[in-house]
Amino acid sequence: MASTMEEVRVATLVIRGLRAEVEGKEILRGIDLEVPQGEVHAIMGPNGSGKSTLANVIMGRPGYVRTAGEIRFRGQDITGLKPDQRAQLGLFLAFQYPTEIPGVSVVNFLRSAYKAVKGEQISALAFRKRLKEKMTLLGIEDAMVARYVNQGFSGGEKKKNEVLQLAVLEPEIAILDETDSGLDIDSLKAVATGIQQLVGPQLGVLLITHYQRILNYITPDRIHVMMDGKIVLSAGPELAGELERKGYEGLRKELGLAPEPAEPA
Amino acid sequence: MPDTDTMAGFGREALKSLVRREEDPFVEDLRRGAFGEFEALPVPSPETEEWRYTDLRRFDLSSFVAVDGDTVSRELDPEARAEIDRQGVVFEGIDEALRTHPELIRPHLHRNVPTARSRFTALHGAFRTGGTFVHVPDGVRVEVPLQAITSVERDGTAVFPHTIIVTGRDAELTFVERYRSPALEGVLSDAIVEIDAGRGSRVRYVAVQEWGAGVTHLAVQRATLAQDAELRSLGVAFGASLSRSEVESVLQGDGSSSEMLGVYFANGDQHFDHRSIQDHIGSLTSSDLLYKGALRDRSRTIYSGTVIIRQGAHKCNAYQTNRNVLLSEEARADSIPNLEILSNDPVRCGHAASVGPVDDDALFYIQSRGIPDAEAERLVVMGFFQEVLDRVSIPEVRGELERAIARELERGS
Repeated sequence: MASTMEEVRVATLVIRGLRAEVEGKEILRGIDLEVPQGEVHAIMGPNGSGKSTLANVIMGRPGYVRTAGEIRFRGQDITGLKPDQRAQLGLFLAFQYPTEIPGVSVVNFLRSAYKAVKGEQISALAFRKRLKEKMTLLGIEDAMVARYVNQGFSGGEKKKNEVLQLAVLEPEIAILDETDSGLDIDSLKAVATGIQQLVGPQLGVLLITHYQRILNYITPDRIHVMMDGKIVLSAGPELAGELERKGYEGLRKELGLAPEPAEPA
Repeated sequence: MPDTDTMAGFGREALKSLVRREEDPFVEDLRRGAFGEFEALPVPSPETEEWRYTDLRRFDLSSFVAVDGDTVSRELDPEARAEIDRQGVVFEGIDEALRTHPELIRPHLHRNVPTARSRFTALHGAFRTGGTFVHVPDGVRVEVPLQAITSVERDGTAVFPHTIIVTGRDAELTFVERYRSPALEGVLSDAIVEIDAGRGSRVRYVAVQEWGAGVTHLAVQRATLAQDAELRSLGVAFGASLSRSEVESVLQGDGSSSEMLGVYFANGDQHFDHRSIQDHIGSLTSSDLLYKGALRDRSRTIYSGTVIIRQGAHKCNAYQTNRNVLLSEEARADSIPNLEILSNDPVRCGHAASVGPVDDDALFYIQSRGIPDAEAERLVVMGFFQEVLDRVSIPEVRGELERAIARELERGS
């Protein structure tokens, strides 16, 4: 039962009737979604259902073309904004495959980002102090931030680096695109615990995941199931267990959806 | 800036007036011989592989006026000067050295780069005045970097910068060469650098080419390394309208090694032609070349590098890497690696080359963190050069390069 308070609250991220294509192929076929600041919403679904496309469209990645619908963030239509402008408004995307930036150290990169997002000058020393606090919170060793961004990083280090950036930049809404993928049990635990530390009233999270296992660490307020470019089911955290038992195919049958379309050869 | 006179054209009369007052028959013979070669040698043809990308057939030499005198400044603070004098180091003009230390300089003048090498080296041999000679005796370690600055301030002049570096056994030297001018019209810089690194000596050589627009810079740098000698060279090209630089390391002695770094940033209509040779003659020799360049506007660069492992050169290591980042759609870079492995010994030898725009994924990643596109590109390009900068062991040069690259980046955005 939703309280009156929640009903009047304006969701920070509001998506309505969003359709999008990549390389001329329609991937998102009408997405409706609201993520208020302070809540964790998980998006689960089988491979190819459009989860990562949704993340990239929200962030404004070139090549991900919105064909219909709207994306509003803090009451503002952001579809005409460049990625850096979206980030400056308080959006953050943790990448599924973080990109290497040779020759640019994590600390310098983060300081540039911090200045851009916060719109304030900060001395190298003051920034290092701030960074150190977040590193301590997340259990990140000093050596990592002196290295070049993601270059030669292990899978776990890359994801930790994404979470570190999230911690430093303090967005209102963070989209975590399969931040749990490609991690062994220990790395998953470290990364998930890190995210858990950051979740709170100031941060809304759109947690995109293929597996249920990260939800052992982070309890979502809502779970949305995505199939064939649409959200087919939204429910509370109990849905995770249900999905685990039935599988995506079981759910597909139960909802009376057409079988997964075969990929064109 | 030292006083200089000028001579019109590169004809017999001009040569006569130079030779007439020459006191040294050695130099007189050198000039006359080189002039004969200059007249006999053809203008380099783009039909040859060496000059395929730089066509100088319509380059008119008759319009130039050669600078007579030394255009090089070799300032050194008095304390450092006293110290190198005490150590027996020779650091002076070539013309001066030919008078004061003929026995030291003569064997090295045009030894690595013979006048007959090309029409331009012949021209250089006939008309050069000035230049720098450095001789470091056995076992002497020169603490401060020595520096020579060649500058030009007049339109239509030709200069022949020449640097000769000779290091004795186990000697150490750092030498920084600079070429500078404002934007000028019709200036020729025909430059030669000759390095003889003695047994076990360690030489760091940096050349920073910051000529203004309107300068044509044709440079040949060739080093010969004795046993266990080490040369670490860095060539930087930012300026000139046309800049051709040939950098060659001859690894003559066993165990010698050469690092060859290059940084270039071209914009407007600049044309850079970089050629390199890593010539392995001695056994257990190693060479490692890394050239990185950025191109903007309609600029054009060529990198062509050859690794030679001679017969009888055992267990050599040779690497050659050239990477180019294109910052505009009109810019064009070519990268041409050549390997000539004549030794059948186990050899580790590799090369890599790339030409392409700034990585879109990297740009999006950076922008997604709130950093606007122009700054995102600046970060990626600075990072691109960082791999070379990280290997520049002279802190002042590294800092200066970082600032120069940042300036080039700001200029375009």
